[in-house]
Amino acid sequence: MTAASLLISELRSSLAEESARIARGFAATGDGRAAVAQRTSLVEDLLRRLWRECVSSDDAGPRGFALVATGGFGRGWLFPYSDIDLLFLFADHASEETHKDAVQRFSQELWDLKLKLSPASRTLAECDRFDLSNTEFTISLLDCRFLLGDREVYARLHDKVIPKLVARESKPLLQGLAEVTRERHGKFGHTVFHLEPNLKETPGGLRDCNVASWLALISAMSKLGEWPDVSSLRPPVRKQLDAALEFLMAARCFLHFRYGRDDNALSWEAQDEAAARKIGASDSADLTAADWMRIYFGHARATQRAVMQLLEEIPESWSALRRQFQGWKSRPSHPDFSVVDGLIFLQQSSSLKDPEMLLRLFHFMAHHGLKLSATTEHRIEQALPALAVTPPRGAELWLYLQETLLQPHAAEALRAMHSLRLLTLLLPELKPIDSLVVRDYYHRFTVDEHSILAIESLHRLNQSQSEWDKRYAEVLGELEDPELLYLALLLHDTGKGVPGANHVEASLEIAGRCLDRLDVEEGERAVVLFLIENHLEMSAQLRRDIFNPETVAAFAEKVGTPERLKMLCLLTYADIKAVNPEALTPWKAENVWQLYIGAANYLNRSADHRVHGDISNEKLARLNSLAPVTGAKFRNFVEGFPQRYLQVHSAEEVIRHMEMADDVSRDAVQVDLKRGRHWYELSLVTKDRPSLFATLTGVLAAWGMNIVKANAFSNQAGTVVDTLYFTDRFRTLELNLSEWQRFKQSIVAILAGEADLEKMLRDRQRSEKNLRVKVVVETRIDFDDDCSSTSTLLQVIAQDRPRLLHRISSCLSQQRCNIEIALIDTEGQMAIDTFYLTSGGKKLSADIQKNVAKALLDELKSLQLS
Amino acid sequence: MTKVEAVIQNSKLEAVKNALHEIGVEGMTVAEVRGHGRQKGHTEVYRGREYSVDLIPKTKLEVVLADAMVDKAVQAISGAARTGKIGDGKIFLTRVDDAIRIRNDERGEGAL
Repeated sequence: MTAASLLISELRSSLAEESARIARGFAATGDGRAAVAQRTSLVEDLLRRLWRECVSSDDAGPRGFALVATGGFGRGWLFPYSDIDLLFLFADHASEETHKDAVQRFSQELWDLKLKLSPASRTLAECDRFDLSNTEFTISLLDCRFLLGDREVYARLHDKVIPKLVARESKPLLQGLAEVTRERHGKFGHTVFHLEPNLKETPGGLRDCNVASWLALISAMSKLGEWPDVSSLRPPVRKQLDAALEFLMAARCFLHFRYGRDDNALSWEAQDEAAARKIGASDSADLTAADWMRIYFGHARATQRAVMQLLEEIPESWSALRRQFQGWKSRPSHPDFSVVDGLIFLQQSSSLKDPEMLLRLFHFMAHHGLKLSATTEHRIEQALPALAVTPPRGAELWLYLQETLLQPHAAEALRAMHSLRLLTLLLPELKPIDSLVVRDYYHRFTVDEHSILAIESLHRLNQSQSEWDKRYAEVLGELEDPELLYLALLLHDTGKGVPGANHVEASLEIAGRCLDRLDVEEGERAVVLFLIENHLEMSAQLRRDIFNPETVAAFAEKVGTPERLKMLCLLTYADIKAVNPEALTPWKAENVWQLYIGAANYLNRSADHRVHGDISNEKLARLNSLAPVTGAKFRNFVEGFPQRYLQVHSAEEVIRHMEMADDVSRDAVQVDLKRGRHWYELSLVTKDRPSLFATLTGVLAAWGMNIVKANAFSNQAGTVVDTLYFTDRFRTLELNLSEWQRFKQSIVAILAGEADLEKMLRDRQRSEKNLRVKVVVETRIDFDDDCSSTSTLLQVIAQDRPRLLHRISSCLSQQRCNIEIALIDTEGQMAIDTFYLTSGGKKLSADIQKNVAKALLDELKSLQLS
Repeated sequence: MTKVEAVIQNSKLEAVKNALHEIGVEGMTVAEVRGHGRQKGHTEVYRGREYSVDLIPKTKLEVVLADAMVDKAVQAISGAARTGKIGDGKIFLTRVDDAIRIRNDERGEGAL
């Protein structure tokens, strides 16, 4: 055996023995930093012996050639199965040529020892060249460390080449590093909250710890023109990163020893073992896997925050376009905040002791899509202990929260609040799902991130170009109270934090407590709880035959109203989409959509199923609990109303209608007017009479009101309850409180025949300019004789314009049609009006349908021309 | 060996899976597919817009079996997937030359 082969044999056994010793040491202490230092030292020793054998008997020779550690090895962090980053550095090409064979032999011996080598050969001049397509090499030089050979060559690299290169190329270098980092984050959905994260690559992982150091180093070096002091990061960031590093080092060593290779995936099995062995958390009490992952996510979150702040705070690194964009984002102004380069700063006078200020800050962030500056985050953290003593709650908190949820960048604001521990302080109900890993082969993210992602996926609908997303975006745009949907999404999986419980039931209970805390009013509360209770319902239906009318009918009946159906459809869409990026396949999107339109059509076509003492116990119990009324009186009132009447009106509203119906004997027309968040709501209770609906819509048109939605129902006793939701186009009611009374009196007078509706309409028409049509809607008239046993259903789709509903309903009256039920809706510039019609107490004959269609088309055409 | 491909209604997947498990078929591949037979699709009108479903969402189940199991599997699938109405789906049988277990290169029926 030759001397060389003897050496290799000796090194091989020494490497095996020492590696085993390091592994045993780690198993005993769990000290990752010690393990990587020992392995670094082991490999250095091995390199030295090989250097003497293959390159030079003198550690300081030969001239013009040096061996340099770079990357992780340069930092002195050689993980058990990591690659060894080496730079063969030459003074010039002549030296390189001279030592070519030695380098080859040296590398070959390392490969034979089964060490994974990442070698690079460069001259000093080549190191000085910056290649935008290979920023990794220049970055790896930032961690360079002398090992062997000509120290003077190394000193030229370290003291002259690198500082000059970094100072000269700092902008593209930072830009390149930022781009590579953002691209890597993008591959992981920009979130740390993966159920099985990659310890090195996932946002907040080891790579980000390095990125934070490099960013700070490049920044400092570009200013100083030389190597800065080691502690160039700001102290709080440094402290957070150091804590994260200790943990991540231990965890990565654990994974390498566990797998016996450079595998950094924190699989569920690895999480179990890490928790049992308290890897990186030796001071903790016994840990479950979920507890251990919470510690990991805590470190990862802090690391990601530090990196993102550093990325945002280096304006020189941004491209001209990005600078321009950030400049544009600097425009939003606010008395309490200022914006510089897309970052929010607090005005000097602003105090975060006022909880409202804090809530306004996140609303501002959610509205403009801005980020918090590091100083603002620091001030928030300082303000939290005082806030924790008396956190805001009740209607005021709900008001701010709902306004924040509605903003286009709500998810980013929620993530920032969550990361600063503010979200769980305001809504402690979210604590059990904070960084919670629930093992499920479909879910990719933790429960809290999944919930926020679901909210984000709805907000992103408007920007999407996908055919499916556009359909769902339209439905989202039609919602009356989208904030309730967002709140339901935030809370829908909170029950997953209760071990062993049925998560839907547990979520309902937790959401109930949260709604109490927010003092959410009864009707809204019912909607949120309905959505949470049924958040798996549509997915469950997809496993049935969704083209079977009975399946669709049963589902639609369970949902009850079109508004709830829209919300449930969107919640299902968002919930599936937030499971993982591929979860919402076109197949699923189509199925959800088909079920939605099937159920929506069913609800429109079954609105005349009448109440005959068959109200659900739940509704009846609610009505009885509210009412100072007897059961018999209540039953008489609701007898014969369509089921839809009870579905679209809350128990409180039904009671109010019943009281108004009582008063009809004194005053024939009872009118109630109130202002909602989106529109005014007019309720009218009276005895049925010809042209009632046409006259009522005429009065509103004459007052310049724009009817957005309407329901018209009647009971067996001939009592009519019409509810019209309208916007006040000329702000008549908004600006003149006295007009409220005059408006109501006008309705009563016209229905009593004491005022001239036609004259009022002519006056209004004269004073109005033609409205510009933004989107042309083609008129469509459809009859359906099959969906009701007593009425013919007419659906009119037309361009929305003033007086449209009055003209349609008047036309129907002229054709001697009785409107049994009217369901009026508006979608953008499209009016969608559904009427259940009878003529002479029967369905409309084919002839009458033909006449009605012709009359309506003529009427709508004349309206278009007027 | 024979490959059994069954295109069935989505609502019947659980029943078919259970029926196959009962006769000892454990592994299978399931895919979300769309298509139509003679049944063709249908059109739903929603708010004045027509949404035609030319290709109806279905579920495709694939399983490769030893020949001795094929008849039992076909009976299990058709028994569990049948409603008697149009759209119940179809079963296709194809000869399979060989099967290889990637983990250990085992071949033939032993690899199934």
